[in-house]
Amino acid sequence: MRRVLLVVIAACAAAAVSRAETILIRNATVLTITKGAIENGSVLIENGKIAAIGKKVSAPADATIVDASGKYLMPGIIDCHSHTAIEGGVNEGTLSDSSMVNIKDVINPNDINIYRSLAGGLTISNVLHGSANAIGGQTIVVKLRWGKSAQEMIMEGAKPGIKFALGENPKRAGEPSQNFFSQGAAPERRYPGTRMGVEEVIRESFAEAKNYQAEWKDYNDRVAKGEHPIPPRKDLRLEPLVEVMEGQRYVHAHCYRSDEILMLIRVADEMGFKIRTFQHVLEGYKVAREIKEHGAGASTFSDWWSYKIEAFDATPYNAAIMAKKGVVVSLNSDSDELQRHLNLEAAKTMRYGGMTPTEALAMVTINPAKQLGIDDKVGSIEVGKSADLALFDQDPLSNYSKCLRVWIDGHQYFDRDKDLETRPKFNEEKKQLLQKENAPATGQRTGRPVANAPGASEEAYR
Amino acid sequence: MRSILGFLGFALMPVALWAAGDNSVLVRNVDVHPVTGADIRNGAVLVIDGKIVEVGAHVAPHGGVKVVDGHGLQLYPGLINAATNVGLSEVESLRDTIDLDEIGTFNPELRAEVAFNPSSEHVEVTRASGITTVITLPGSGGRGRSATASVITGQGALMHLEGWTWEEMAIKPSAVMDMLFPEIQSGGGRGGFAAFLNQGATRSYAEEERQYKQKLAQISQFFDEARRYEIAKAAGAPEFKRDVRLEAMIPVIDGKQSLFVRAERERMIKDAIEFADKEKVKIIIADPRELGSTGSLLKEHNIPVVLGKTFQLPMRDDDPYDAPYTLPNDFYKAGVKFCFGTFDTEFARNVPFEAAQAAAFGLPKEAALRGLTINSAQILGADNEIGSIEKGKVGDFILTDGDPLEAKTNIKQMFIGGREVPLESRHTREFEKWMKRP
Amino acid sequence: MKTVPARHVPALLALLAVPLLHAAVPTAVAIKDAHVVTISGADLPKATVLLRNGLIEDVGPNVTVPAGTWIIDGSGLTVYPGFIDALSTWGIPGAVPPTAGRTTGAAATPAQTTPAPAQALTQSNAQSPAEAEDAGRPNIHGPEDRPQTYSFERAADLITPGDSRLEAARAVGFTSAATFPNRGIVEGLGAVIDLSGERGREMVVAQPVGQQILFRVGGGGMGRAFPASLMGNIAYIRQLYLDLNQYKEAKQIYAANPSGNKRPEYDHALEGLAEAPRILLPADQAQQIDRMISFGQELKTPFVLYGAHEAFKCLDEIKQANVPVLISLKWPVAERDANPEDIPNYRDLVIREQSPAVAGMFAKAGVKFAFYSDGVDSAPDLKRAIKKAIDAGLSRADAIRALTLTPAEIYGIGDRMGSIEKGKIANVVVMKGEAFDDKSTVEYVFVDGTMYKPSKELQQGPANGGPGGRRGAPTPTNDDNDGGH
Repeated sequence: MRRVLLVVIAACAAAAVSRAETILIRNATVLTITKGAIENGSVLIENGKIAAIGKKVSAPADATIVDASGKYLMPGIIDCHSHTAIEGGVNEGTLSDSSMVNIKDVINPNDINIYRSLAGGLTISNVLHGSANAIGGQTIVVKLRWGKSAQEMIMEGAKPGIKFALGENPKRAGEPSQNFFSQGAAPERRYPGTRMGVEEVIRESFAEAKNYQAEWKDYNDRVAKGEHPIPPRKDLRLEPLVEVMEGQRYVHAHCYRSDEILMLIRVADEMGFKIRTFQHVLEGYKVAREIKEHGAGASTFSDWWSYKIEAFDATPYNAAIMAKKGVVVSLNSDSDELQRHLNLEAAKTMRYGGMTPTEALAMVTINPAKQLGIDDKVGSIEVGKSADLALFDQDPLSNYSKCLRVWIDGHQYFDRDKDLETRPKFNEEKKQLLQKENAPATGQRTGRPVANAPGASEEAYR
Repeated sequence: MRSILGFLGFALMPVALWAAGDNSVLVRNVDVHPVTGADIRNGAVLVIDGKIVEVGAHVAPHGGVKVVDGHGLQLYPGLINAATNVGLSEVESLRDTIDLDEIGTFNPELRAEVAFNPSSEHVEVTRASGITTVITLPGSGGRGRSATASVITGQGALMHLEGWTWEEMAIKPSAVMDMLFPEIQSGGGRGGFAAFLNQGATRSYAEEERQYKQKLAQISQFFDEARRYEIAKAAGAPEFKRDVRLEAMIPVIDGKQSLFVRAERERMIKDAIEFADKEKVKIIIADPRELGSTGSLLKEHNIPVVLGKTFQLPMRDDDPYDAPYTLPNDFYKAGVKFCFGTFDTEFARNVPFEAAQAAAFGLPKEAALRGLTINSAQILGADNEIGSIEKGKVGDFILTDGDPLEAKTNIKQMFIGGREVPLESRHTREFEKWMKRP
Repeated sequence: MKTVPARHVPALLALLAVPLLHAAVPTAVAIKDAHVVTISGADLPKATVLLRNGLIEDVGPNVTVPAGTWIIDGSGLTVYPGFIDALSTWGIPGAVPPTAGRTTGAAATPAQTTPAPAQALTQSNAQSPAEAEDAGRPNIHGPEDRPQTYSFERAADLITPGDSRLEAARAVGFTSAATFPNRGIVEGLGAVIDLSGERGREMVVAQPVGQQILFRVGGGGMGRAFPASLMGNIAYIRQLYLDLNQYKEAKQIYAANPSGNKRPEYDHALEGLAEAPRILLPADQAQQIDRMISFGQELKTPFVLYGAHEAFKCLDEIKQANVPVLISLKWPVAERDANPEDIPNYRDLVIREQSPAVAGMFAKAGVKFAFYSDGVDSAPDLKRAIKKAIDAGLSRADAIRALTLTPAEIYGIGDRMGSIEKGKIANVVVMKGEAFDDKSTVEYVFVDGTMYKPSKELQQGPANGGPGGRRGAPTPTNDDNDGGH
């Protein structure tokens, strides 16, 4: 029901939310992640939540039964670093600090990559601003409720974040380089052009945010005293930083080298905020201790490396080293393509560092859930959690596996059989649309032909 | 061009990494997957002086040859990545570390092997996934291929991922002639790199098509020139002047060297086949993104294919979500011979997973494995030497604790030319080092 | 000409020869015995419309025609209110050229007489002149520098009768347009103008009628000034409205307590914003419509959506939001000269098929809507574009209303134009045949009482469709997903 769904369901207006079904998934190998695996296990879904798990689960008579014999059921996959479904630019890279922009404003629920990723078992994405500047934009956690509106995709109860970026990317605009961005006009160099400058931008912004906080406090105090001060300007750039200091917003910091990771930890200490996750963090293995002490999570790639110099000291053992040293580690995609098979990325940690199957899968389920502060709701198969589930035809850590069905909040959003079944119909529908478009319009051009205007006015009315 | 004898000559020279004579080995008590024959449980493989001399259930120890007990392990041929830039590209964003895409439209005389950095970190890293051999191409494939883009980027080399120098590493230095088939740029189009650079300056399709045809004519002219050169050379006329560029084309126009033609879309594939017919050259279709209606054409003409990454996004919004996953099976069902490549450096090591993903979506597992071993060797004209565990072939194999196409499998040992090569790399060394940090 | 009594012919021809001279306008014209589509009231199958001094003096079956009135025999003719382009650049020929400094920007007089190729889309990848200007400015640190903001610019000050497009528009029956300046993101204050006059100032009917927002997106922000992304555009507008509220409050408090308070800084950009009775937000695709409805509501200012080509997916939401919508007449169609290998997306095909039906759906659902030309400037193209909506299910009556009274109401001037009513501005069209029928012809157009008789050539082509609309349908930019990694 790929694009057909798009037509049937209003992808714009709030679609009527159908009442969640009661579903019993039977005879699966249930990979709970937090409580081991259950062979020939069953999971009961009621009201969008996991109601029961076990070898023997009784279901109400009206429950829909899904026979999953020989198949594997795992929690829906969670991606802690995505840029999917963003309309109109991933970066607002014009400023060193663009914290006023918000990904929440530009989620495109019609982005086909949402569906494609669902089909790989992904149910939740932390959708981030790009890494063009030291302080990027505000971020949002979405559930891939394909067919729903942007508002409805935003995950309830998930704390929003803000993207920071360290290293080569944020300083790139400050480099007098010959890269393709400078073709055409010679752009101005935007501060900063060094890692030192990146640090300065962050410290400066937080210093401003503290002043801003004080300014408002002063205003409120004066109002309380019965004075008539002029209110300060509400600054959308500084508000989110105040929220960060107040613990209302998570910092997700893109970084590569160990020095910059340590740098940000020290800036955070100084300014009194916490870094929730280090993103990519390819040299996190060198400062795992400091990351752990700060209480940050690490969200890294399985095996990316060598695409730039700050990614040259990378090792695919990074995830395993950090995990072994006590850091909560997740594997992220940063890519519309990679987010389609994060389970297979997890499998690589078994080769690179000897993670157990559960440890490996935790890196794309419960660990990212912890990092996003949503582990009380999702990330494992436990009673009371949201019924965000992915059914695979075999062990999802096998490169031969494929995802068959996906539920979010107990609603089925992907079913491979239905997808396959719908394809001919979809193709036929499209063929008809094309034929119709190419057929000469009837009743349109009864007048004399438009002379001397071959095609010129075509586009206006054809 | 060196012959296989030349290669063996090098392999036999006492320049080995370990000790003299260390290119003989007997691996026994191992499950042998020869690829070209039935699996042998608890079998053995004997390599003497770099070459496989015996494969079977019972192989007697050979005086003085090192014995490896493969108990509980699987023995597979060394895997082949049939399209990479390994050795020519180190850090993607740093031009100084990249030797790809030489300036000029026709560069057939360029040879990838001579710039192959044997100390590239990518050699060890790629090897760690069980890959013993790669094709290294002199072209990156190009982004937003334009009318001014390079057409023939040079000769791709078939390289062993082991050796002190590129000469020692080369199996077949001029394995293929790398060619970027011209492409009709899709006029207008939203976004995309080309549109990003020339905002609003896109040409019409008619104009694009005109340029495309012009480009094809230009290519034909170059081939004609090469043909005339060959005739002049053969005639031995006194006025004949040597030309390295045209000289390099002779094996191609003689059908001795395959043109490795990058053609992503249906029309490009068709036009490439037509072109090959017209020029009477041997081609390999490389990195196709769709099969379209080209299946029977490819089969009829006996044209093999080097597939690019399976892990890709579908080309169009409307394509089935799994279109790239099922593409290898489309070729398989069409009866086309194919193998796998990654067309990059960073992820060259992941080629087994590209094949496995195809198997998850319909391709028989055997075909996936063949696409990393014997098919690759056949397509690249090296099946006398590599691609399977057979008597007479070079002793390239890996010992694993499972299916080498599975990420969770560990590659335990690797032998290239019968010599054990380490599986350590920059990546394992960092692991070892930093695990020790208190 | 047959319908005009012979005795009037010389005089009428004389009038037509100098159509721009108000002096030559007859003090009174009566269109007698015509079918009158009043819009505000019942259709009158046989009535007289009396125009005098630029106003509709009377209409009805029994109108007393004063002596000396020019008479047009209206039998066999239909009289409609003049059509209104609900979002236009008519009257502002060409894009306003970039100026050296922003201070002189508003005063720059458009010198070009031919429309420049329209470049900017509602969500444009192209750099606008304003943006180029901003990019060259050293000091865009953020919203506080008011980048690409021309909120203070007035269409009313830019209008000129010298725009060659006016004649073509009149040839289809357009007599008025809601014209907006077209620089930057916050584009300036629009004016409803009549498409006739000797001087620009005479053409202005009402101003300011709104502030148009146009998102300018592209380039990932490298080497460009804030804002370069869609989210940057949105954040910027949001900040502007927050600033506006603070500005108003600060001014009030200061006025009451000047002592001990620092005086609020004068802000040109906010003044322009404050003056606008409504804002126009770009919304073509379903998700954009959804987004802009939320955004408009968040800004707590009256708003209108424009674009609407995929609105067939969000009828309920639009209805619920009770927001007026301007539908672009630049229907999405197959790309000409496209690579045959590039098969269009299903979604695009559906939009192409369904978008002309949006108007009809709106009419049924009770959504307030009007049409806008969106760069469709030639008479035959305009006519066919409107006809396409009718062919797709919009009743002729609803089409006429969407071109007359509804846009007038949307801009709050339904009391002076948009219908044939006593006392309203004398903007009427006299047609032979029913409006937008292939064979229908425009016999006379009265703009502010000035009579025009559009030539057949102009009405029938050759079309000069031009390269496309300046306010094209907002397209999603498919940026290279350069999140960086």
